[in-house]
Amino acid sequence: MDLLIPDNWLKEYLKTSATPKKIAEALSLHGPSVERVNQTKFGTVYAIEVTSNRVDTVGVYGIAREAAAILPRMGIKASLKPLPDTKVSFTKRVDYLTVSVDHKLCPRFAAILIKNVKIAQSPKWMCERIEAVGLRPINNIVDISNYIMHEIGQPVHTFDYDKIAKHTMILRASKKGEILTTLDEKSHTLPGGDIIIEDGDGRIIDLAGIMGGLNSAVDTQTKNVLLFVQTYDPVSIRRTSMTLAHKTEASILFEKGLDTNLVTEGIKRGIELFTKITQGQVDAHALDLYPNPPKEKTVSTNLDFIERGLGVSLTSTQVSQFLTPLGFTLTWNKRNFQVKVPSWRNKDISLPEDILEEIARVYGYYKLPSILMSGDIPEAIPDSPFKFENEIKLTLKSLGAYEIYTNSLVSEKKTGVSSLKLKNPLGKDGEYLRTTLRPSLIEAVKTNSFEKEPFHLFEMANVYLPRRGDLPDEKMTLAGIFANTDYREAKGIIETLLDSLHSKYFFETEDSQFFKPSHRLKIISGQVVLGQFGQIENTNYIYYEFYLMALNKAASHVGVFTPIPQYPPQIEDITITFPERTVIGGVIKLLEEQTFITKVELRDIYNDSYTFRINYQNPSKTLTDPEVEKIRKNLLKLVQDKFGGTCA
Amino acid sequence: MQENIQNAKNEALAQIMEAKGATEIEEIRVAYLGRNGKINELLKNIKDVPPEERKMFGISINESKNTITNALAEKKNSFKENAREWFDPTIPGIKPKIGHLHLITQAIDEIARTFENIGFVRARYPEVEWDFFAFEALNMPPSHAARDEWETFFVDSPKNPKYGQAVLTPHTSNGQVREMLRVKTPPIRMVNISKCYRRQADVSHVPMFHQFEGLVIDHDISIIHLKGTLDYFARSFFGPKRVTRLRPYHFQFTEPSFEVDISCGVCSGKGCKFCKEGWVELGGAGMVHPNVLKYGKIDPTKYSGFAFGWGVERTYLMKEGLNIPDIRLLYSSDLRYLKQF
Repeated sequence: MDLLIPDNWLKEYLKTSATPKKIAEALSLHGPSVERVNQTKFGTVYAIEVTSNRVDTVGVYGIAREAAAILPRMGIKASLKPLPDTKVSFTKRVDYLTVSVDHKLCPRFAAILIKNVKIAQSPKWMCERIEAVGLRPINNIVDISNYIMHEIGQPVHTFDYDKIAKHTMILRASKKGEILTTLDEKSHTLPGGDIIIEDGDGRIIDLAGIMGGLNSAVDTQTKNVLLFVQTYDPVSIRRTSMTLAHKTEASILFEKGLDTNLVTEGIKRGIELFTKITQGQVDAHALDLYPNPPKEKTVSTNLDFIERGLGVSLTSTQVSQFLTPLGFTLTWNKRNFQVKVPSWRNKDISLPEDILEEIARVYGYYKLPSILMSGDIPEAIPDSPFKFENEIKLTLKSLGAYEIYTNSLVSEKKTGVSSLKLKNPLGKDGEYLRTTLRPSLIEAVKTNSFEKEPFHLFEMANVYLPRRGDLPDEKMTLAGIFANTDYREAKGIIETLLDSLHSKYFFETEDSQFFKPSHRLKIISGQVVLGQFGQIENTNYIYYEFYLMALNKAASHVGVFTPIPQYPPQIEDITITFPERTVIGGVIKLLEEQTFITKVELRDIYNDSYTFRINYQNPSKTLTDPEVEKIRKNLLKLVQDKFGGTCA
Repeated sequence: MQENIQNAKNEALAQIMEAKGATEIEEIRVAYLGRNGKINELLKNIKDVPPEERKMFGISINESKNTITNALAEKKNSFKENAREWFDPTIPGIKPKIGHLHLITQAIDEIARTFENIGFVRARYPEVEWDFFAFEALNMPPSHAARDEWETFFVDSPKNPKYGQAVLTPHTSNGQVREMLRVKTPPIRMVNISKCYRRQADVSHVPMFHQFEGLVIDHDISIIHLKGTLDYFARSFFGPKRVTRLRPYHFQFTEPSFEVDISCGVCSGKGCKFCKEGWVELGGAGMVHPNVLKYGKIDPTKYSGFAFGWGVERTYLMKEGLNIPDIRLLYSSDLRYLKQF
């Protein structure tokens, strides 16, 4: 929550000689964060960010209390001045209002009648403060309400007393479909369960805790005002405000859960300001329905726990000095102590850890030493995939590939049939969790259609394969795409990648959806399909993808040791002419299977003629020319028989 | 014998001095330093040298070789262009293509390495996560207002009776309780780096981004160890002079909670337009809430710990001082951007 606190207003409750700069620094280091110190025409104004658990600091008085506790830690004297005390008599029944309240929705309900108010402009000092906190002065009635809210953090509301039919109020949960118009002239159809107030004629006159009803609003003709200060159930307020998408300063405060004691202060401040500024006559009795005041809370802890958490030692005197100005009361028994929690911290303090936090922040986190922990080092996670993933990325980079990151959230068009759908996507392009990277990569390659040179993009990311009754299988996938690239060059890069993993694999031709017919290979290791490679249909793009887990299993991370052969190979190039439509991969496989052939490499292609470089090698002796001759003859015969290849 | 060596050397030097071109120089080299050249011929005589003189003999041979080699080189270099062997070293090389790893990969690597150096184990927990691990076990029961800050995406699938709705994890903190349940008995030092998702898209937010989460649990872990770890990270990752500072903050799953600042690298902490009084905000941290430890089946009376979770992209951009006007550019596939980082 962001708030603006004028320095001169703060100083009404904070007695200190600290400069605004020092106050800002102290608050930021020990408490709420001062984002900026603004110099405005109304003087210095602090822009402060308050965390959601500290609704007690939303307001001038709450900030003054923090500053008074913190500044002494920076060596500057400071103290908190109390809110002005106004006499008021609270009773459970008043003659000017008949009420019925559902206390589950409204733990404390207070109101007081102020007669014969003179509606006018607020005095200059009030207008300036209202403007300094970012609001527009309206008239004295509205301004007083806003003033009290910004001073103590308690929303207050004013009704035109004479518009409340039969001077009767029923505070209850709304029924679904009930309709009300709020003072901003917006009409709301209620979802049901919202806190509303109905008057004696059954009209809904207030969307409680969020905004008053138009039909009961104060206007320029208003004579008698009902000042209204309550505490509401935070959960109901939040639900209504969210469902109606109607957030107000009041609802933001109420949904955080307010201190019920603030109601007393709200009424007192109201009485004082209405008397002074509107010359209204305040009734002698304020209505106050407060059947179950919360119990006082205490937290027990000890100095050892505090010291262990902080990492430094403290004395009981120090601890008391830190906590007392924040409103805590301490009772010591040697190193144990009991902390009585002030009402305004009732919601956020309940554990010894919460006390530790209070002590630590007042002490100053920045003053604590900084030491790396000693102790045992944990065991590594077995089969951690990260090193393998990195190796692959680095190899691809050395082979000229560019890595990209694309969104896992894709449109319906870019994912498979059974993909997980989001309930609340940001838009149609991000409705599904992708089950394949292919469409994302095709889109990425198209982004670069200006590029006429060959290029290669890749991504390593999870795909999300749904599983019944469970979270999806998040499969780490490597996928890449080549543009303007020759088929053999692209395939060579993938072969080099696979070779670098020392994996044993082979290709198998198999058509599949999305690939041009006869242009797709499966890559297989043992019985396991590692991935696929091929040309995307209706494009010149060559695409590949692998599941990392399968690839990792197929890789042997250390090469296998084989002694260097003692006898050198005989190497020769042979050119063979094949009929059309010969599968050269099959020819090479056949050649490689023959005894004493250790390597076969395709060196050149010219029309239908293919030049192979063949290594002949016997591990136990040097092959003689006649022996090689014999092997070669045998080879050529095989090639002739199986593939019709002829050697010139 | 020594004399013969001297003579051969002088002879060679004289010839080198007279030489007129590269070819002649090469002939001289072969005549003296070649396999059957004069120096090698002399060396063959070593067997006739008395053993006590052999060392001296060897030194002289080597010295002559070096002198001749140097003289040859010097002479070669003294020739005018046209008398030299022609070679153009300015011709461009044939460059094999090198690719590029994405900025985020570089960042993740560096962050992981930094923490691995102080004994952290790298983990990666689900991106599609149960509400239980993303919120409930982090001390945010259903309908808790604090959940609003996470702008969560929900998956359209049936609820799990035990773990609730499937969501896209809005932070890497979902790994906290998962890691506790995996390890069972501390010590825990984990860095969980993963994709996260939030319903937001503008110049400084992308719906998909990356976070890294540190989690340390052991006996007697206190705020000073969190500070020690963060300062170590700041020095290793951002530079030796950088330090961190903790300020109070609030998260449901840590108590106390902190906002972490790092001293500004531009002004070295003096205060400038890039920072706030010498400090720049890094992200959140805190001491693990006892309720979270309980969800992880770790006894909060025996163990304590700290955690922090920050954006990978943001942290890395801060390190490099990279000024990217729109963070969405990081996720562009345009080669013209990819090549820049």
